[in-house]
Amino acid sequence: MSRFRAASVQQVLPRPVHAAAVVALLLIVLVPLAYILSASLNSDLAVAAGDFWPSQFTFGNYARIWQTTDLAGGLRNSVLISGSVAVVSALVSVMTAYVLVRHKFLGRLTTLRGLVILQSVPGTLLLLPIFVLFASVSTALRVPIIGTPWAVFVTYLTFALPFSTWVMVTYLRGLPLEIEEAARIDGAGPATVLLRIVLPLSWPGIVVAAIFSFLQGWNDVLFSSVMTSPASRTAAVALSVLSSTQDTGAVPIYGQMMAASLVCAAPVVLLNLVFQRYLVNGLTAGGIK
Amino acid sequence: MTSMERRDRPLWMLIPGAILLAVVILAPLALVSYMSLTDLDQYTLRHWTLAPFIGLGNYVEALLQAPLLSSIWISVSTAALVCVISLPIGVTAALAMQNRFPARGLVRSLFLIPYVLPAFAVGAMWRTILKPDAIVNGVLGQLGLPAPLWLNGPASYWVLVAVEAWSAWPFVYLLTLAALQSITKDVHEAAAIDGALGWAKLTRVILPQIAGSVALSMVISFLHSVNNFSVPYVLFSLPAPASVQVLPLLTYAQSFQSFRFGLSAATAVASLIIVAIPLLVYLRALRLDVGERR
Repeated sequence: MSRFRAASVQQVLPRPVHAAAVVALLLIVLVPLAYILSASLNSDLAVAAGDFWPSQFTFGNYARIWQTTDLAGGLRNSVLISGSVAVVSALVSVMTAYVLVRHKFLGRLTTLRGLVILQSVPGTLLLLPIFVLFASVSTALRVPIIGTPWAVFVTYLTFALPFSTWVMVTYLRGLPLEIEEAARIDGAGPATVLLRIVLPLSWPGIVVAAIFSFLQGWNDVLFSSVMTSPASRTAAVALSVLSSTQDTGAVPIYGQMMAASLVCAAPVVLLNLVFQRYLVNGLTAGGIK
Repeated sequence: MTSMERRDRPLWMLIPGAILLAVVILAPLALVSYMSLTDLDQYTLRHWTLAPFIGLGNYVEALLQAPLLSSIWISVSTAALVCVISLPIGVTAALAMQNRFPARGLVRSLFLIPYVLPAFAVGAMWRTILKPDAIVNGVLGQLGLPAPLWLNGPASYWVLVAVEAWSAWPFVYLLTLAALQSITKDVHEAAAIDGALGWAKLTRVILPQIAGSVALSMVISFLHSVNNFSVPYVLFSLPAPASVQVLPLLTYAQSFQSFRFGLSAATAVASLIIVAIPLLVYLRALRLDVGERR
Protein backbone atom coordinates (compact mmCIF):
# COMPACT_ATOMS: atom_id res chain seq x y z
CA MET A 1 0.00 0.00 0.00
CA SER A 2 2.69 2.50 1.00
CA ARG A 3 4.84 1.52 -1.98
CA PHE A 4 1.94 2.16 -4.29
CA ARG A 5 1.27 5.55 -2.72
CA ALA A 6 4.94 6.50 -2.94
CA ALA A 7 4.85 5.67 -6.64
CA SER A 8 1.78 7.71 -7.36
CA VAL A 9 3.00 10.71 -5.41
CA GLN A 10 6.14 10.91 -7.57
CA GLN A 11 4.44 10.66 -10.90
CA VAL A 12 4.07 13.79 -12.96
CA LEU A 13 2.35 12.76 -16.18
CA PRO A 14 -1.32 11.73 -15.98
CA ARG A 15 -1.88 8.08 -16.95
CA PRO A 16 -3.26 8.52 -20.52
CA VAL A 17 -0.55 11.06 -21.43
CA HIS A 18 2.06 8.75 -19.94
CA ALA A 19 0.88 5.72 -21.91
CA ALA A 20 0.70 7.68 -25.16
CA ALA A 21 4.19 9.12 -24.61
CA VAL A 22 5.80 5.75 -23.89
CA VAL A 23 4.15 4.09 -26.89
CA ALA A 24 5.06 6.96 -29.24
CA LEU A 25 8.69 7.01 -28.08
CA LEU A 26 9.02 3.25 -28.37
CA LEU A 27 7.70 3.44 -31.93
CA ILE A 28 10.21 6.20 -32.81
CA VAL A 29 13.06 4.07 -31.47
CA LEU A 30 12.00 0.58 -32.49
CA VAL A 31 10.40 0.93 -35.94
CA PRO A 32 13.64 1.95 -37.72
CA LEU A 33 15.59 -0.67 -35.76
CA ALA A 34 13.07 -3.38 -36.60
CA TYR A 35 13.27 -2.42 -40.26
CA ILE A 36 17.07 -2.64 -40.21
CA LEU A 37 16.92 -6.05 -38.59
CA SER A 38 14.37 -7.30 -41.10
CA ALA A 39 16.32 -5.81 -44.03
CA SER A 40 19.43 -7.65 -42.83
CA LEU A 41 17.44 -10.90 -43.08
CA ASN A 42 15.90 -10.05 -46.44
CA SER A 43 16.96 -10.26 -50.08
CA ASP A 44 18.23 -7.05 -51.70
CA LEU A 45 15.48 -7.19 -54.34
CA ALA A 46 12.74 -7.32 -51.71
CA VAL A 47 14.32 -4.39 -49.79
CA ALA A 48 14.55 -2.41 -53.04
CA ALA A 49 10.88 -3.20 -53.71
CA GLY A 50 9.98 -1.50 -50.41
CA ASP A 51 8.97 -4.56 -48.39
CA PHE A 52 9.03 -4.21 -44.61
CA TRP A 53 8.98 -7.86 -43.58
CA PRO A 54 10.84 -10.46 -45.65
CA SER A 55 8.62 -13.08 -47.32
CA GLN A 56 11.33 -15.53 -46.34
CA PHE A 57 14.06 -15.01 -43.78
CA THR A 58 17.66 -15.69 -44.75
CA PHE A 59 20.89 -15.46 -42.82
CA GLY A 60 22.82 -15.34 -46.11
CA ASN A 61 23.69 -11.66 -45.68
CA TYR A 62 25.40 -12.40 -42.37
CA ALA A 63 27.47 -15.07 -44.11
CA ARG A 64 28.38 -12.97 -47.16
CA ILE A 65 29.56 -9.76 -45.44
CA TRP A 66 32.85 -11.41 -44.45
CA GLN A 67 33.78 -11.93 -48.13
CA THR A 68 32.40 -8.67 -49.57
CA THR A 69 34.66 -6.59 -47.36
CA ASP A 70 37.41 -7.49 -44.90
CA LEU A 71 35.08 -7.06 -41.97
CA ALA A 72 36.93 -9.54 -39.75
CA GLY A 73 40.17 -7.62 -40.32
CA GLY A 74 38.34 -4.38 -39.63
CA LEU A 75 36.91 -5.68 -36.37
CA ARG A 76 40.36 -6.98 -35.34
CA ASN A 77 42.00 -3.61 -36.13
CA SER A 78 39.28 -1.76 -34.23
CA VAL A 79 39.75 -3.95 -31.17
CA LEU A 80 43.56 -3.67 -31.26
CA ILE A 81 43.79 0.08 -31.92
CA SER A 82 40.92 1.24 -29.69
CA GLY A 83 41.97 -1.27 -27.02
CA SER A 84 45.57 -0.06 -26.82
CA VAL A 85 44.44 3.58 -26.90
CA ALA A 86 42.08 2.84 -24.01
CA VAL A 87 44.77 1.12 -21.90
CA VAL A 88 47.50 3.70 -22.55
CA SER A 89 45.29 6.71 -21.93
CA ALA A 90 43.70 5.20 -18.82
CA LEU A 91 47.10 4.50 -17.24
CA VAL A 92 48.57 7.89 -18.12
CA SER A 93 45.42 9.66 -17.01
CA VAL A 94 45.43 8.12 -13.51
CA MET A 95 48.80 9.70 -12.78
CA THR A 96 47.87 13.04 -14.32
CA ALA A 97 44.48 13.14 -12.62
CA TYR A 98 45.95 12.18 -9.23
CA VAL A 99 48.28 15.19 -9.28
CA LEU A 100 45.54 17.46 -10.65
CA VAL A 101 43.10 16.47 -7.92
CA ARG A 102 45.35 16.18 -4.88
CA HIS A 103 48.08 18.74 -5.43
CA LYS A 104 48.22 22.44 -6.11
CA PHE A 105 50.55 23.84 -8.71
CA LEU A 106 50.75 26.74 -11.09
CA GLY A 107 48.59 26.14 -14.16
CA ARG A 108 46.38 23.54 -12.54
CA LEU A 109 43.08 25.30 -13.27
CA THR A 110 44.27 26.12 -16.79
CA THR A 111 45.04 22.44 -17.34
CA LEU A 112 41.60 21.39 -16.08
CA ARG A 113 39.92 23.99 -18.26
CA GLY A 114 42.04 22.86 -21.21
CA LEU A 115 40.91 19.26 -20.75
CA VAL A 116 37.28 20.34 -21.10
CA ILE A 117 37.95 22.65 -24.03
CA LEU A 118 39.83 19.94 -25.91
CA GLN A 119 36.78 17.69 -25.75
CA SER A 120 34.76 20.29 -27.65
CA VAL A 121 37.16 21.32 -30.42
CA PRO A 122 36.26 19.84 -33.81
CA GLY A 123 38.24 16.71 -34.69
CA THR A 124 39.25 18.18 -38.05
CA LEU A 125 41.25 20.85 -36.22
CA LEU A 126 43.64 18.14 -34.98
CA LEU A 127 43.35 15.73 -37.90
CA LEU A 128 44.73 18.28 -40.39
CA PRO A 129 48.04 19.17 -38.71
CA ILE A 130 48.69 15.56 -37.67
CA PHE A 131 48.15 14.44 -41.26
CA VAL A 132 50.55 17.10 -42.54
CA LEU A 133 53.08 16.27 -39.82
CA PHE A 134 52.93 12.55 -40.62
CA ALA A 135 53.31 13.22 -44.34
CA SER A 136 56.38 15.41 -43.76
CA VAL A 137 58.03 13.12 -41.22
CA SER A 138 57.51 10.02 -43.33
CA THR A 139 59.04 11.80 -46.35
CA ALA A 140 62.01 12.93 -44.26
CA LEU A 141 62.62 9.57 -42.58
CA ARG A 142 61.47 7.44 -45.55
CA VAL A 143 59.17 5.31 -43.39
CA PRO A 144 55.44 4.94 -44.01
CA ILE A 145 53.31 6.42 -41.21
CA ILE A 146 49.91 7.20 -42.74
CA GLY A 147 48.19 3.88 -43.33
CA THR A 148 49.76 2.14 -40.35
CA PRO A 149 47.80 1.34 -37.18
CA TRP A 150 50.19 3.64 -35.28
CA ALA A 151 48.91 6.66 -37.18
CA VAL A 152 45.37 5.86 -36.09
CA PHE A 153 46.58 5.17 -32.54
CA VAL A 154 48.11 8.66 -32.26
CA THR A 155 45.01 10.41 -33.62
CA TYR A 156 42.77 8.52 -31.18
CA LEU A 157 44.92 9.75 -28.29
CA THR A 158 43.82 13.29 -29.21
CA PHE A 159 40.34 12.59 -27.86
CA ALA A 160 41.03 9.67 -25.48
CA LEU A 161 43.66 11.46 -23.35
CA PRO A 162 41.65 14.57 -22.40
CA PHE A 163 38.50 12.47 -22.01
CA SER A 164 39.92 9.78 -19.73
CA THR A 165 41.93 12.30 -17.71
CA TRP A 166 38.75 14.25 -17.07
CA VAL A 167 36.82 11.10 -16.14
CA MET A 168 39.59 10.18 -13.68
CA VAL A 169 39.63 13.71 -12.25
CA THR A 170 35.92 13.46 -11.46
CA TYR A 171 36.36 9.95 -10.07
CA LEU A 172 39.36 10.67 -7.83
CA ARG A 173 37.65 13.79 -6.52
CA GLY A 174 35.00 11.54 -5.03
CA LEU A 175 37.50 9.35 -3.13
CA PRO A 176 37.99 10.09 0.58
CA LEU A 177 41.20 11.96 1.39
CA GLU A 178 41.57 10.43 4.86
CA ILE A 179 43.12 7.12 3.77
CA GLU A 180 45.77 8.88 1.74
CA GLU A 181 46.52 11.25 4.61
CA ALA A 182 46.89 8.34 7.02
CA ALA A 183 49.32 6.62 4.64
CA ARG A 184 51.36 9.78 4.30
CA ILE A 185 51.55 10.24 8.06
CA ASP A 186 52.88 6.66 8.19
CA GLY A 187 55.66 7.82 5.89
CA ALA A 188 54.46 6.67 2.47
CA GLY A 189 55.76 8.74 -0.44
CA PRO A 190 53.52 9.98 -3.28
CA ALA A 191 54.44 7.07 -5.57
CA THR A 192 53.56 4.55 -2.85
CA VAL A 193 50.27 6.35 -2.17
CA LEU A 194 49.40 6.23 -5.88
CA LEU A 195 50.32 2.55 -6.31
CA ARG A 196 49.07 1.14 -3.00
CA ILE A 197 46.08 3.34 -2.19
CA VAL A 198 44.81 5.35 -5.16
CA LEU A 199 45.10 2.65 -7.85
CA PRO A 200 43.30 -0.12 -5.90
CA LEU A 201 40.54 2.32 -4.88
CA SER A 202 40.06 3.82 -8.32
CA TRP A 203 39.98 0.79 -10.57
CA PRO A 204 36.23 1.13 -11.25
CA GLY A 205 36.92 4.64 -12.56
CA ILE A 206 39.84 3.35 -14.63
CA VAL A 207 37.66 0.65 -16.18
CA VAL A 208 34.93 3.17 -17.04
CA ALA A 209 37.45 5.62 -18.54
CA ALA A 210 39.01 2.82 -20.59
CA ILE A 211 35.68 1.46 -21.83
CA PHE A 212 34.35 4.82 -22.93
CA SER A 213 37.67 5.68 -24.63
CA PHE A 214 37.47 2.33 -26.39
CA LEU A 215 33.93 3.05 -27.57
CA GLN A 216 34.89 6.51 -28.86
CA GLY A 217 37.69 4.92 -30.87
CA TRP A 218 35.38 2.20 -32.17
CA ASN A 219 32.85 4.82 -33.30
CA ASP A 220 35.37 7.06 -35.05
CA VAL A 221 35.04 7.58 -38.79
CA LEU A 222 36.85 10.89 -39.25
CA PHE A 223 40.41 9.91 -38.28
CA SER A 224 40.29 6.33 -39.51
CA SER A 225 38.91 7.25 -42.95
CA VAL A 226 42.04 9.36 -43.54
CA MET A 227 44.71 7.45 -41.64
CA THR A 228 44.04 3.83 -42.63
CA SER A 229 45.13 1.71 -45.58
CA PRO A 230 43.25 -1.46 -46.65
CA ALA A 231 45.42 -3.44 -44.20
CA SER A 232 44.80 -1.19 -41.19
CA ARG A 233 41.12 -0.40 -41.83
CA THR A 234 38.91 -0.21 -38.77
CA ALA A 235 35.43 -1.76 -38.73
CA ALA A 236 33.79 1.62 -39.41
CA VAL A 237 35.89 2.13 -42.55
CA ALA A 238 35.33 -1.45 -43.75
CA LEU A 239 31.63 -0.68 -43.44
CA SER A 240 31.92 2.47 -45.56
CA VAL A 241 33.66 0.38 -48.25
CA LEU A 242 30.57 -1.80 -48.25
CA SER A 243 28.48 1.34 -48.65
CA SER A 244 30.40 2.44 -51.76
CA THR A 245 30.00 -1.07 -53.22
CA GLN A 246 26.30 -0.46 -52.69
CA ASP A 247 26.48 2.71 -54.77
CA THR A 248 28.13 1.14 -57.82
CA GLY A 249 26.49 -2.31 -57.89
CA ALA A 250 23.52 -3.09 -60.12
CA VAL A 251 21.30 -3.99 -57.18
CA PRO A 252 22.44 -2.24 -53.98
CA ILE A 253 23.53 -4.75 -51.32
CA TYR A 254 21.10 -3.38 -48.73
CA GLY A 255 20.92 -6.61 -46.78
CA GLN A 256 24.65 -6.95 -46.29
CA MET A 257 24.98 -3.26 -45.45
CA MET A 258 22.46 -3.62 -42.65
CA ALA A 259 23.85 -6.94 -41.44
CA ALA A 260 27.38 -5.48 -41.22
CA SER A 261 26.09 -2.32 -39.46
CA LEU A 262 24.37 -4.46 -36.86
CA VAL A 263 27.48 -6.63 -36.37
CA CYS A 264 29.64 -3.51 -35.81
CA ALA A 265 27.06 -1.76 -33.63
CA ALA A 266 26.07 -4.68 -31.40
CA PRO A 267 29.18 -4.71 -29.14
CA VAL A 268 28.91 -0.94 -28.64
CA VAL A 269 25.24 -1.04 -27.72
CA LEU A 270 25.81 -3.97 -25.34
CA LEU A 271 28.78 -2.35 -23.54
CA ASN A 272 26.87 0.91 -23.23
CA LEU A 273 23.79 -0.77 -21.80
CA VAL A 274 25.90 -2.78 -19.34
CA PHE A 275 27.68 0.38 -18.18
CA GLN A 276 24.69 2.72 -18.54
CA ARG A 277 24.96 3.65 -14.87
CA TYR A 278 28.19 5.50 -15.74
CA LEU A 279 26.95 6.97 -19.00
CA VAL A 280 25.85 10.30 -17.53
CA ASN A 281 29.07 10.80 -15.61
CA GLY A 282 31.24 9.71 -18.49
CA LEU A 283 29.61 11.90 -21.08
CA THR A 284 28.98 15.08 -19.16
CA ALA A 285 32.36 14.47 -17.50
CA GLY A 286 30.74 15.10 -14.14
CA GLY A 287 31.35 17.98 -11.79
CA ILE A 288 28.15 19.79 -12.67
CA LYS A 289 26.93 22.18 -10.04
CA MET B 1 48.54 23.62 2.25
CA THR B 2 51.29 22.77 4.71
CA SER B 3 54.97 23.00 3.91
CA MET B 4 55.36 19.24 4.13
CA GLU B 5 52.75 18.64 1.43
CA ARG B 6 54.32 21.30 -0.71
CA ARG B 7 57.69 19.53 -0.58
CA ASP B 8 56.05 16.21 -1.45
CA ARG B 9 54.27 17.32 -4.59
CA PRO B 10 54.87 14.50 -7.09
CA LEU B 11 54.88 16.77 -10.10
CA TRP B 12 57.03 14.26 -12.00
CA MET B 13 53.88 12.17 -12.33
CA LEU B 14 52.60 14.80 -14.75
CA ILE B 15 55.47 14.16 -17.15
CA PRO B 16 54.01 11.24 -19.22
CA GLY B 17 50.65 12.97 -19.61
CA ALA B 18 52.24 16.36 -20.30
CA ILE B 19 54.57 14.96 -22.98
CA LEU B 20 51.76 13.06 -24.70
CA LEU B 21 49.39 16.05 -24.59
CA ALA B 22 52.12 18.35 -25.92
CA VAL B 23 53.02 15.98 -28.77
CA VAL B 24 49.58 14.85 -29.94
CA ILE B 25 47.53 17.97 -29.14
CA LEU B 26 49.44 21.18 -28.42
CA ALA B 27 52.02 20.87 -31.21
CA PRO B 28 49.31 20.04 -33.81
CA LEU B 29 47.21 22.98 -32.59
CA ALA B 30 50.17 25.31 -33.07
CA LEU B 31 50.84 23.80 -36.49
CA VAL B 32 47.24 24.13 -37.68
CA SER B 33 47.26 27.82 -36.73
CA TYR B 34 50.44 28.31 -38.76
CA MET B 35 49.07 26.20 -41.64
CA SER B 36 46.04 28.46 -41.86
CA LEU B 37 48.41 31.32 -42.76
CA THR B 38 50.17 29.44 -45.58
CA ASP B 39 49.21 28.29 -49.05
CA LEU B 40 49.73 24.62 -48.23
CA ASP B 41 48.53 22.21 -50.95
CA GLN B 42 49.31 18.74 -52.26
CA TYR B 43 52.63 19.92 -53.76
CA THR B 44 54.00 21.40 -50.53
CA LEU B 45 52.29 18.87 -48.24
CA ARG B 46 55.39 16.74 -47.71
CA HIS B 47 57.57 19.79 -46.92
CA TRP B 48 55.13 22.02 -45.05
CA THR B 49 57.85 24.45 -43.96
CA LEU B 50 58.30 25.42 -47.64
CA ALA B 51 54.67 26.41 -48.18
CA PRO B 52 54.41 30.13 -49.04
CA PHE B 53 53.27 32.35 -46.16
CA ILE B 54 50.21 34.32 -47.27
CA GLY B 55 49.05 35.92 -44.02
CA LEU B 56 45.28 36.09 -43.75
CA GLY B 57 44.80 35.18 -47.41
CA ASN B 58 43.06 31.89 -46.60
CA TYR B 59 40.64 33.56 -44.21
CA VAL B 60 39.79 36.19 -46.80
CA GLU B 61 39.25 33.50 -49.43
CA ALA B 62 37.17 31.39 -47.01
CA LEU B 63 34.91 34.36 -46.30
CA LEU B 64 34.60 35.75 -49.82
CA GLN B 65 34.79 32.71 -52.12
CA ALA B 66 34.54 29.43 -50.24
CA PRO B 67 31.13 28.62 -48.76
CA LEU B 68 32.33 29.31 -45.20
CA LEU B 69 29.46 31.59 -44.19
CA SER B 70 26.79 29.29 -45.59
CA SER B 71 28.46 26.32 -43.85
CA ILE B 72 28.48 28.21 -40.56
CA TRP B 73 24.79 28.94 -41.03
CA ILE B 74 23.97 25.30 -41.88
CA SER B 75 25.98 24.01 -38.91
CA VAL B 76 24.50 26.45 -36.40
CA SER B 77 20.91 26.18 -37.64
CA THR B 78 20.88 22.37 -37.83
CA ALA B 79 22.45 22.08 -34.37
CA ALA B 80 19.92 24.56 -32.95
CA LEU B 81 17.02 22.69 -34.59
CA VAL B 82 18.34 19.37 -33.26
CA CYS B 83 18.35 20.88 -29.75
CA VAL B 84 14.87 22.36 -30.12
CA ILE B 85 13.45 19.01 -31.31
CA SER B 86 15.31 16.91 -28.73
CA LEU B 87 14.22 19.08 -25.82
CA PRO B 88 10.48 18.20 -25.56
CA ILE B 89 11.07 14.57 -26.56
CA GLY B 90 13.88 14.03 -24.05
CA VAL B 91 12.07 15.76 -21.18
CA THR B 92 8.81 13.88 -21.87
CA ALA B 93 10.69 10.58 -21.92
CA ALA B 94 12.32 11.37 -18.59
CA LEU B 95 9.01 12.44 -17.03
CA ALA B 96 7.41 9.22 -18.28
CA MET B 97 9.91 7.22 -16.23
CA GLN B 98 8.49 8.76 -13.05
CA ASN B 99 5.42 6.52 -13.33
CA ARG B 100 5.67 2.91 -12.29
CA PHE B 101 4.72 0.63 -15.14
CA PRO B 102 5.51 -2.90 -16.32
CA ALA B 103 8.93 -3.40 -17.95
CA ARG B 104 10.08 0.09 -16.96
CA GLY B 105 13.71 -1.08 -16.72
CA LEU B 106 13.59 -2.51 -20.24
CA VAL B 107 12.00 0.63 -21.70
CA ARG B 108 14.60 2.75 -19.92
CA SER B 109 17.36 0.84 -21.73
CA LEU B 110 15.56 0.81 -25.09
CA PHE B 111 15.31 4.62 -24.99
CA LEU B 112 19.11 4.79 -24.87
CA ILE B 113 19.70 2.78 -28.05
CA PRO B 114 19.50 5.64 -30.61
CA TYR B 115 22.11 7.52 -28.60
CA VAL B 116 24.54 4.65 -27.99
CA LEU B 117 24.27 3.33 -31.54
CA PRO B 118 27.53 4.30 -33.31
CA ALA B 119 27.07 7.34 -35.58
CA PHE B 120 28.29 5.35 -38.60
CA ALA B 121 25.53 2.79 -37.98
CA VAL B 122 22.92 5.54 -37.57
CA GLY B 123 24.04 7.08 -40.87
CA ALA B 124 24.12 3.77 -42.75
CA MET B 125 20.72 2.78 -41.40
CA TRP B 126 18.88 5.97 -42.37
CA ARG B 127 20.72 6.06 -45.70
CA THR B 128 19.20 2.67 -46.51
CA ILE B 129 15.77 3.66 -45.25
CA LEU B 130 15.74 6.89 -47.30
CA LYS B 131 17.22 5.65 -50.60
CA PRO B 132 14.99 6.67 -53.56
CA ASP B 133 13.61 3.13 -54.09
CA ALA B 134 13.56 2.03 -50.45
CA ILE B 135 10.96 1.67 -47.73
CA VAL B 136 9.98 5.30 -47.03
CA ASN B 137 9.28 6.18 -50.64
CA GLY B 138 7.65 2.76 -51.11
CA VAL B 139 5.18 3.53 -48.31
CA LEU B 140 4.61 7.09 -49.56
CA GLY B 141 3.93 5.73 -53.05
CA GLN B 142 1.38 3.25 -51.75
CA LEU B 143 -0.41 6.09 -49.96
CA GLY B 144 -0.47 8.04 -53.21
CA LEU B 145 1.85 10.74 -51.87
CA PRO B 146 4.78 12.28 -53.76
CA ALA B 147 8.10 10.50 -53.10
CA PRO B 148 10.85 13.15 -52.97
CA LEU B 149 14.61 12.62 -53.04
CA TRP B 150 15.70 12.61 -49.41
CA LEU B 151 19.47 12.35 -49.76
CA ASN B 152 19.82 15.09 -52.38
CA GLY B 153 18.52 18.61 -52.87
CA PRO B 154 16.71 20.80 -50.34
CA ALA B 155 15.03 17.93 -48.44
CA SER B 156 18.43 16.66 -47.31
CA TYR B 157 18.72 19.54 -44.83
CA TRP B 158 15.65 18.33 -42.95
CA VAL B 159 16.80 14.73 -43.20
CA LEU B 160 20.06 15.72 -41.46
CA VAL B 161 18.13 17.52 -38.71
CA ALA B 162 15.72 14.62 -38.22
CA VAL B 163 18.39 11.91 -38.16
CA GLU B 164 20.60 13.83 -35.74
CA ALA B 165 17.59 14.58 -33.52
CA TRP B 166 16.68 10.87 -33.59
CA SER B 167 20.02 9.99 -32.08
CA ALA B 168 20.38 13.09 -29.86
CA TRP B 169 17.19 13.17 -27.78
CA PRO B 170 18.16 10.28 -25.45
CA PHE B 171 21.04 12.43 -24.17
CA VAL B 172 18.56 15.10 -23.03
CA TYR B 173 16.50 12.26 -21.56
CA LEU B 174 19.51 10.89 -19.65
CA LEU B 175 20.46 14.21 -18.05
CA THR B 176 16.84 15.10 -17.27
CA LEU B 177 16.28 11.68 -15.73
CA ALA B 178 19.32 12.12 -13.49
CA ALA B 179 17.99 15.51 -12.36
CA LEU B 180 14.49 14.12 -11.74
CA GLN B 181 15.89 11.29 -9.63
CA SER B 182 17.70 13.78 -7.41
CA ILE B 183 14.37 15.40 -6.47
CA THR B 184 13.57 13.99 -3.05
CA LYS B 185 10.31 12.33 -2.11
CA ASP B 186 9.68 15.17 0.36
CA VAL B 187 9.31 17.61 -2.53
CA HIS B 188 6.74 15.36 -4.22
CA GLU B 189 4.85 14.92 -0.95
CA ALA B 190 4.91 18.63 -0.20
CA ALA B 191 3.53 19.29 -3.69
CA ALA B 192 0.78 16.71 -3.12
CA ILE B 193 -0.13 18.19 0.27
CA ASP B 194 -0.29 21.69 -1.20
CA GLY B 195 -2.61 20.34 -3.87
CA ALA B 196 -0.17 20.95 -6.74
CA LEU B 197 -1.07 18.25 -9.25
CA GLY B 198 -0.77 17.71 -12.97
CA TRP B 199 0.17 20.79 -14.94
CA ALA B 200 0.68 22.99 -11.86
CA LYS B 201 3.06 20.47 -10.32
CA LEU B 202 4.97 20.13 -13.58
CA THR B 203 5.46 23.84 -14.22
CA ARG B 204 5.76 25.14 -10.65
CA VAL B 205 7.58 22.30 -8.86
CA ILE B 206 9.33 19.93 -11.25
CA LEU B 207 10.52 22.12 -14.12
CA PRO B 208 12.27 24.72 -11.93
CA GLN B 209 14.21 21.90 -10.27
CA ILE B 210 15.41 20.33 -13.51
CA ALA B 211 15.87 23.51 -15.56
CA GLY B 212 19.63 23.67 -14.92
CA SER B 213 20.28 20.12 -16.09
CA VAL B 214 18.04 20.53 -19.12
CA ALA B 215 19.86 23.74 -20.08
CA LEU B 216 23.20 21.98 -19.72
CA SER B 217 22.00 19.10 -21.90
CA MET B 218 21.09 21.68 -24.56
CA VAL B 219 24.59 23.17 -24.47
CA ILE B 220 26.30 19.78 -24.74
CA SER B 221 23.87 18.58 -27.44
CA PHE B 222 24.63 21.73 -29.43
CA LEU B 223 28.37 21.08 -29.16
CA HIS B 224 27.94 17.41 -30.16
CA SER B 225 25.78 18.32 -33.12
CA VAL B 226 27.98 21.16 -34.39
CA ASN B 227 31.03 18.87 -34.31
CA ASN B 228 29.21 15.85 -35.74
CA PHE B 229 31.15 14.61 -38.74
CA SER B 230 30.13 10.94 -38.91
CA VAL B 231 26.36 11.26 -39.36
CA PRO B 232 26.38 13.71 -42.32
CA TYR B 233 29.44 11.97 -43.82
CA VAL B 234 27.93 8.49 -43.79
CA LEU B 235 24.37 9.64 -44.52
CA PHE B 236 25.15 11.71 -47.62
CA SER B 237 28.75 10.64 -48.46
CA LEU B 238 31.06 13.01 -50.29
CA PRO B 239 30.52 15.19 -52.22
CA ALA B 240 27.63 16.11 -49.93
CA PRO B 241 24.65 18.13 -51.23
CA ALA B 242 25.23 21.87 -50.73
CA SER B 243 22.31 22.12 -48.30
CA VAL B 244 24.00 19.82 -45.74
CA GLN B 245 27.59 20.97 -46.10
CA VAL B 246 28.24 21.48 -42.41
CA LEU B 247 31.60 22.82 -41.26
CA PRO B 248 33.25 19.44 -40.53
CA LEU B 249 32.33 18.22 -44.03
CA LEU B 250 33.55 21.45 -45.66
CA THR B 251 36.87 21.27 -43.80
CA TYR B 252 37.30 17.59 -44.68
CA ALA B 253 36.47 18.10 -48.37
CA GLN B 254 38.81 21.09 -48.67
CA SER B 255 41.66 18.96 -47.32
CA PHE B 256 41.15 15.49 -48.65
CA GLN B 257 39.29 16.18 -51.88
CA SER B 258 40.63 19.58 -53.06
CA PHE B 259 43.96 19.23 -51.19
CA ARG B 260 43.79 22.90 -50.13
CA PHE B 261 45.25 22.22 -46.68
CA GLY B 262 45.90 25.90 -45.89
CA LEU B 263 42.37 26.97 -46.73
CA SER B 264 41.01 23.99 -44.85
CA ALA B 265 43.07 24.88 -41.76
CA ALA B 266 41.62 28.41 -41.89
CA THR B 267 38.10 26.93 -42.05
CA ALA B 268 38.84 24.66 -39.09
CA VAL B 269 40.21 27.55 -37.02
CA ALA B 270 37.24 29.74 -37.99
CA SER B 271 34.84 27.00 -36.92
CA LEU B 272 36.11 27.45 -33.36
CA ILE B 273 34.01 30.63 -33.25
CA ILE B 274 30.76 28.68 -33.21
CA VAL B 275 31.87 26.30 -30.45
CA ALA B 276 33.34 29.12 -28.34
CA ILE B 277 30.09 30.53 -26.93
CA PRO B 278 28.47 27.22 -25.85
CA LEU B 279 31.88 26.13 -24.58
CA LEU B 280 32.18 29.18 -22.32
CA VAL B 281 28.70 28.50 -20.95
CA TYR B 282 29.68 24.88 -20.32
CA LEU B 283 32.92 25.86 -18.58
CA ARG B 284 31.03 28.19 -16.25
CA ALA B 285 28.68 25.37 -15.28
CA LEU B 286 31.55 23.04 -14.38
CA ARG B 287 33.17 22.99 -10.98
CA LEU B 288 36.89 23.15 -11.60
CA ASP B 289 38.24 23.92 -8.14
CA VAL B 290 38.71 20.27 -7.32
CA GLY B 291 41.48 20.77 -4.77
CA GLU B 292 39.12 22.10 -2.12
CA ARG B 293 37.49 19.72 0.31
CA ARG B 294 33.76 19.81 0.28
